[in-house]
Amino acid sequence: MSKLKQALDSGKFVVTGEIGPPKGVNIAKCLEDAESLRDRVVAVNVTDLQSAVMRIGSMAVCARLVQRGLEPVYQLTCRDRNRLALQSDLLSAWALGIENVLCLTGDHPNLGDHAEAKPVYDLDSVQLLQAASTLNGGHDMAGHELEGNPDFFLGGVVTPGAEPQELHIIKMRKKVAAGARFFQSQAVYEPEKFEQFMNRIQGLEVPVMAGIVVLKSAAMARYMNANVAGISVPESLIEEMAATPKEERRQKAVEISARLIRQVKPLCQGVHIMPLGWDDLVPEIIKEAELD
Amino acid sequence: MHATIQKPIEEIAGWFRSGEKVFVVGCDNCAAKCRSGGIPETEEMAKRLKKRGVNAFAWCVPQPKGTSLCKLSNTKKVLQEEYGEQTKEADSFLVLSCGQGIHTVMDATEGKVVHPGCDTIFGGETVSDDFITEYCSLCGECVVEYTGGLCPVTLCAKSLLNGPCGGAKDGKCEVDRTRDCGWQLIYDRLKSLGRLDQVKEYKEPKRNSRWSRPRSLALAEGSTTFRSLAGEHTVASTD
Repeated sequence: MSKLKQALDSGKFVVTGEIGPPKGVNIAKCLEDAESLRDRVVAVNVTDLQSAVMRIGSMAVCARLVQRGLEPVYQLTCRDRNRLALQSDLLSAWALGIENVLCLTGDHPNLGDHAEAKPVYDLDSVQLLQAASTLNGGHDMAGHELEGNPDFFLGGVVTPGAEPQELHIIKMRKKVAAGARFFQSQAVYEPEKFEQFMNRIQGLEVPVMAGIVVLKSAAMARYMNANVAGISVPESLIEEMAATPKEERRQKAVEISARLIRQVKPLCQGVHIMPLGWDDLVPEIIKEAELD
Repeated sequence: MHATIQKPIEEIAGWFRSGEKVFVVGCDNCAAKCRSGGIPETEEMAKRLKKRGVNAFAWCVPQPKGTSLCKLSNTKKVLQEEYGEQTKEADSFLVLSCGQGIHTVMDATEGKVVHPGCDTIFGGETVSDDFITEYCSLCGECVVEYTGGLCPVTLCAKSLLNGPCGGAKDGKCEVDRTRDCGWQLIYDRLKSLGRLDQVKEYKEPKRNSRWSRPRSLALAEGSTTFRSLAGEHTVASTD
C-alpha cells in the first residue's frame, strides 16, 4: 500500500521530494539525488519530460526507485500520449510496483527542445484522473473489464497563485470529483496569499502539499517572476538572496526554504520540495524547518 | 472560410517539368478574400511564372463573382466549356485555392495533374478585409454551448475541455505570451454573461472518431447524413 497515502491519511505533516530524469541513459546522478532524500521524504516525484524536453522516461526511473526501496510518485502528463498509451502506461507502471501517480496537463511541446512535435492532449488532466480512477475500478475507459486492476493513489496539481483563481478552483474541484486524493502545488513564496487560497478551498477535504522550490539565486527568482505562471517571488526575498555572497547561497537557500515551510505548515498537510538538483540540501532544509 | 497563403514563388517555380504547359486557376471566394488566389493574384502568378521561364500560358478565376472553386459543377462548366481549349492544351494546373479547390480542379479536368499554389492554413472568421482569424477547428463535435460561444479546442493551445492549465501568465498563453489564454477569454465571457456555472460540469473526452478524415456529408430531401469513423449520423431538418 502507498506509504504516501498512509502518511497523509494519518494526518502527519508529509514531505515529498522530486528528481528530474536526465537526457540520456546515465541515471546514476538522478538516483543519487533520490538517495539523498531517503528517510527524509515519504515519496519522491519523478518528472515526466519536464519543460517538454525529451529525456529518459519517468516510468523507468520510478521503477528503479521501487527496486531500491524508495517510493516514487509517477508524474504523467497528457502532452505526449493518447488515451490508449496513457492507460497502458498506467497499467505498466502498476506492474512495476508504482502506486502513486500525479496527473498533469504537461508543458506544451513548443516550449521544449522538440518544438515541432505533435501536441497530443487527447485527454486533459481531469479526464486523465477520471481514466485512472476507472482503471482502479477494474475497467478501461471504453468500459472493458480488466484482468486485474491497479489501485493507484492519485494526485493532481494546483497553482495557488494562478489567475483566474476562481476558474482554477473549479478545475481543482473537478479533479477531486475525478479521483484526485492529494494535491501538490506550484511553488509558494507568499504564505499570506497561500493562506487566502487555502481558505477559499475549505471543505475540499483533500490534502494539499505546498510546493517549495529551492531558491538558488536572485536571477532565478527574477526569471520565474517574468516567465513562470503563478509564481511570484516577493522583492524582499529577491533582495535577501541578492545580498548573499555566492559561497553562502546554498545556506541561504536552506534558510529561506525552511522559513517558508515553517510558515505554510499550519495551513496545509505537507510540503513538496523541489530542489532542482540541490537535493543534497533537503536533509538540512527539513532539519532547519524542524520537521524531523 | 478556408484561409490560405501562397507558397513561396521559388518553391512553386521549381515544380514544373521542361515545357510543361501550366494553366493557373484561382478561386473567387475564400482565396480571393485571402488575396492568395483572386483575379489579381492569379493573373500576377501567371506573369511571375512566365518571368521565371515557366510556360504559364493561361489563367482564370471561375465566375460568377464570389463563386467558390470547390463548387465542382461550376468549375467543371468553366474549365470544360468557357476554357475548353486551354484545359485540353494544359499539361497541368497550378491551383491558387485551398486543398478542396485543388481536388475540385482534378475532378473538373478528368484527373489532370494539379500543383498546390497555396498552403491551406485554417478555417477562419473574416474579421475585416485585412484580418482573418481562427475560431473553429472543424472537430465535428461542437462544445461552445458550455463555453460562452468560445471554442476551447481552438483557443486553448492544448485544447483542454475542463479548464485552464497552469501555464497562462497575465492572461496570456504559455506558448505565446502575446496570445490570449483561451480559458481566460472563456472565463471573462461566462462571468460577464453570469453563466460560469456551465464550466463546473465534467466534460468527457472528445470522440475523435468524429474528427477522423476523410469525412463526408450527404444531403437528401429533409435530412442530412454525416459520415465519419463514428459511423453515419443522420439529422432531419424538419419535425
